[in-house]
Amino acid sequence: MAINGVIVATILLSCLTATCYGITFSSLQRSLEVEASVKADQVLKAGEAKITVSWKVNATYSAGTESSYKTVKVQLCYAPISQKDRGWRKTVDILKKDKTCQHTIVERPYSASNNTVTYTVKRDVPTATYFIRAYVFNAAGEEVGYGQTTNAGKSTNLFSIEGVTGRHVSLDIAAACFSAFSVISLFGFFFMEKRKAKASN
Amino acid sequence: MEIPGEEYPKRFPLAVDSEHKATEFRLFSAAPPHMRAFHLSWLSFFTCFVSTFAAPPLLPVIRDDLDLTATDIGNAGIAAVSGAVFARLAMGTCCDLFGPRLASAALVLATAPAVFCTSLAASPASFLALRFLTGFSLATFVSTQFWMSSLFSPNVVGTANGVAGGWGNLGGGATQLIMPLVFDLIVLAGAGKFTAWRAAFFIPGLLQTVSAYGIFFLGQDLPDGDYSQLQKSGEKHKDSFDKILSGAVTNYRGWILALTYGYCFGVELTIDNIIAQYFYDKFDVNLHTAGTIAASFGLANLFSRPGGGMLSDFVARRFGMRGRLWTLWVVQTVGGVLCVLLGKVGSLAASVAVLLVFSVFVQAACGLTFGVVPFVSRRSLGIISGMTGGGGNVGAVLTQVIFFRGSRYTTETGITLMGVMIIACTLVIMLIHFPQWGGMLWPPSDGATEEDYYVSEWTAPEQDKGFHKASLKFSQNSRRERGQSVIASPNTYA
Repeated sequence: MAINGVIVATILLSCLTATCYGITFSSLQRSLEVEASVKADQVLKAGEAKITVSWKVNATYSAGTESSYKTVKVQLCYAPISQKDRGWRKTVDILKKDKTCQHTIVERPYSASNNTVTYTVKRDVPTATYFIRAYVFNAAGEEVGYGQTTNAGKSTNLFSIEGVTGRHVSLDIAAACFSAFSVISLFGFFFMEKRKAKASN
Repeated sequence: MEIPGEEYPKRFPLAVDSEHKATEFRLFSAAPPHMRAFHLSWLSFFTCFVSTFAAPPLLPVIRDDLDLTATDIGNAGIAAVSGAVFARLAMGTCCDLFGPRLASAALVLATAPAVFCTSLAASPASFLALRFLTGFSLATFVSTQFWMSSLFSPNVVGTANGVAGGWGNLGGGATQLIMPLVFDLIVLAGAGKFTAWRAAFFIPGLLQTVSAYGIFFLGQDLPDGDYSQLQKSGEKHKDSFDKILSGAVTNYRGWILALTYGYCFGVELTIDNIIAQYFYDKFDVNLHTAGTIAASFGLANLFSRPGGGMLSDFVARRFGMRGRLWTLWVVQTVGGVLCVLLGKVGSLAASVAVLLVFSVFVQAACGLTFGVVPFVSRRSLGIISGMTGGGGNVGAVLTQVIFFRGSRYTTETGITLMGVMIIACTLVIMLIHFPQWGGMLWPPSDGATEEDYYVSEWTAPEQDKGFHKASLKFSQNSRRERGQSVIASPNTYA
């Protein structure tokens, strides 16, 4: 009886903690198995390369909770090397504050089958090293499980994306022209000033 | 003051003194040469500030495009303000030798390519180099102050310097609003994010080029003409660089003001660089809100720096130079106390409130500093202004390197310690003493006159050739710095 009381109290307390501080990553079960068509250490080009991601429930972990999965969100996440000295990509255990995964591949209602998506890497994905992670959410929008293409230490099966540079030939030409115009104007000013001084003499 | 019997008011739209410097400051007039030069100089200085701090609001996009680390960003921020240290000194020299019109137009045009070429940045190293080169444009501060000191009489010089400097500094706040807006418009027009930020830099670059043209064609160095004209006609002699330089570096007051300016303007630049991140991290506000708070710090320059300049002129009416020095010390020390407080308060509302009051005091101290600078030297005004301005940037580099780099201090501890350093370094103002007017703690020396001070900057042979005439007129006009206890009159010199 007393043990039941303790269990109930612990569950209530952890629910309270969870809602007070937000759901933490460490509290989630790795209930999904995620696979991607990308090989380890491969380099993909943003805007061109396609990645096929598929996920399924991991039978050993899910233990009947699959019925609570309402939404799935698959994301590109930064590997530790791309987080180093970059506080805006920091991994924080509280998921609300976590900045590890900033690029969404797909977000859709969860279904038990046909869990695959082909994603063309968007042009605004920056140059970095990544892995793929999928979260499943319950009806209340809270994370209840996850899966990822790498290990717990985020050291295996990582791949790189080469971002679009944003430089354009037209911008290069415009910058060169305007810069040249400024420098020529400068010499023009000096020349005119000398002439004016001679003229006023 | 006007000398009776002369026809000055007919030649100039504003009332002028014997050097033809304006004795009134009419903000909403663009009358040449005085007010027109005022508007040209603050506008061009504003565009330089916009260019130098154009990158910070766009960093969330730039850091992804160029794969920057936090260290890269910090170093680029330090580079942006360190270039101006020597550029300000060089600018002071150029103003003394070539005049502010040519010097500032040349600098604004010379740094415009760096702004345009920011669109070509491809790595952390090139980004740092471009921010470094763009930062040179902040030297236009010196030409602004020099130009105002050349066109406005002692009774309004603090106001003119304060408004011109303050409205220029405004660019640092305005850019936090302008650049994201331009970026959003370009993205809306269909460009990708990584192209849009590059294209956005053309706006500050174009603004700089246009303002340089304005200065060159519409501006005038002195009330009576430009340096090149006056030098050729013999009205103004072409001064020697060696004499100007030695006069400046041997005047201890220039060094003291350089140090103290580092702890009002230098602190202002440091806050510009770190405060958005501070609010974002400590209080969990979103990036937009943090940016708005950062912008409001810079935007307070609209009235706080001019207010400092006006306050300097106001206290000088009754208490002269001693009043200017006392007010500077008080305002800057209060700023230091508020800085200590800023690092200690715990709630968001209190922090924002303290930040805003702090911004008013620290920027007013900047305005008050340049109420004193025009009087330190007449012959070497440019280099003294350059030393003080450069000292401001040195202060910014120092405080960022000591307190806000790496993880030795938390940001709030860094802010508090910076406040302590402000209070300590401001004490040296007590050492400034003008023989003819006194200092904070000591009265004027017996028998010392303004002529003794300013004419002594010229050697006897130079005085024989009459090079010191402008300094004589200035001595006369600055007699009001004795305060109301001595009635200033144009006839009290031999």
